[in-house]
Amino acid sequence: MNHAGFIIATYGVTFGAVIGLAAYAIKQGRELSRKVPDKDKPWT
Amino acid sequence: MTTATVNSKGVGTPTTRIYGALAIVALGWVLLGGLFFTPEDVVQGDAVRIMYVHVPTAWVAYLAFIVTGIASACWLIGKKHSLGFDRVAGASAEVGVVFMAMTLLSGSLWGRITWGTYWVWDPRLTTTAFLFVTYVGYLAVRGLGGSPEQRARRSSVIALLAVLEIPLVHFSVVLWRSLHQQASVLSPDGDIKMDGLMLFTLLFGVFGFSVLFAWLVSHRQRIMAMQDALQTNALDAAVSERLREAQV
Amino acid sequence: MDLTPRTSPDNAPLAPRKRNRKWKYVAMLIVVASAGGIIVTQFLTSAIDFYCNVDEIGVRDGCEANRRLRVQGVVAKDSLKSASGRTSFVMEFNNHSVDVMYEGDPGGIFQECIPVVAHGRLVGDVFEANRIEVKHSNQYEAENPDRIAESKATPCTQLAG
Repeated sequence: MNHAGFIIATYGVTFGAVIGLAAYAIKQGRELSRKVPDKDKPWT
Repeated sequence: MTTATVNSKGVGTPTTRIYGALAIVALGWVLLGGLFFTPEDVVQGDAVRIMYVHVPTAWVAYLAFIVTGIASACWLIGKKHSLGFDRVAGASAEVGVVFMAMTLLSGSLWGRITWGTYWVWDPRLTTTAFLFVTYVGYLAVRGLGGSPEQRARRSSVIALLAVLEIPLVHFSVVLWRSLHQQASVLSPDGDIKMDGLMLFTLLFGVFGFSVLFAWLVSHRQRIMAMQDALQTNALDAAVSERLREAQV
Repeated sequence: MDLTPRTSPDNAPLAPRKRNRKWKYVAMLIVVASAGGIIVTQFLTSAIDFYCNVDEIGVRDGCEANRRLRVQGVVAKDSLKSASGRTSFVMEFNNHSVDVMYEGDPGGIFQECIPVVAHGRLVGDVFEANRIEVKHSNQYEAENPDRIAESKATPCTQLAG
């Protein structure tokens, strides 16, 4: 593959960022869920 | 003091799990197909592989900012001024800013191997950079403090002004002379000039990143709802405490 | 009702202050405003009139031959030559052409029959470029040996700018 460094960097940054964002959302969601009563969580 | 039930399962629901599963399947194909199975372009060679992430992330960034604009309008127009709309607006802008950053970065790397430069101040790149900076500013304004209602009021006005930049960015390659190519799928003449498997992978990328956007916004707006609830509950507790002190 | 935050006996706040967080966002806004100013300046000075086409040199307002220009055209077929670190080619647009001389290898996907933007000055009849950017179209085709052989036998199809 020509320009492999550029192409792999693009995919690495893009997929790394979305996986990181999703993992952070799951972690933050779980942490806050422990502190907030169910009455304030209409989706449960 | 009453004890409320606390469920620590997180913010996922059956619907968001479906979004998540669809995103994993679609983006799995984009990763494998984009890197290995799609053909090289006759002019660009392997550099065309960057398109399968660059175009969908740009599309999601536009979509996110449009959702922010619509949700802000709903907050302003709605009689109840439901904070749910404001949280969707904020969550969508956060996701949009991340996707716009990815678009700028992937575009810069693509530009280096096709145009021969990381950056030029041409109309498309300049307007995109301005759009990105505008929404970073929008998020900064959201973080300035005050009650959730104050936050919603000031940020909804900014969101409604900022969304007007999107047509300018999209049509900048038509309005002015640009180094950036015109749109491939939403081209002005409506003709898609792309090989079959390339187009399939691109459209799968658009679908995959779009459902990922829906998943991220659903989660982020629920997280914001819990943060707002914690803030409000803390204030309510402080008020009750002071009232009790006053009665002693 | 007084709802100011409680303090401990030594007057230290019981809860962490949020003021620092607010200043973080104010600083962010200052950075955003500065970046926005730079971008708008670049837009007005560079982006609106990004380039002149080959046929507009010395004709169109802002494309005067005696100033530094950004010129767009297509690299003419069989005109590309590289010798002693210099690249020369003919750039065409709308049946007009100009000889271009560039110190070095333009890089990117630079090749014959591709639209380019050359930055530089017209010295005599030659455009001396010190920067070349390659434009690519919004058409994507799989590489096909038959198609390449076919394209080599035909002249460049000039792409609109």
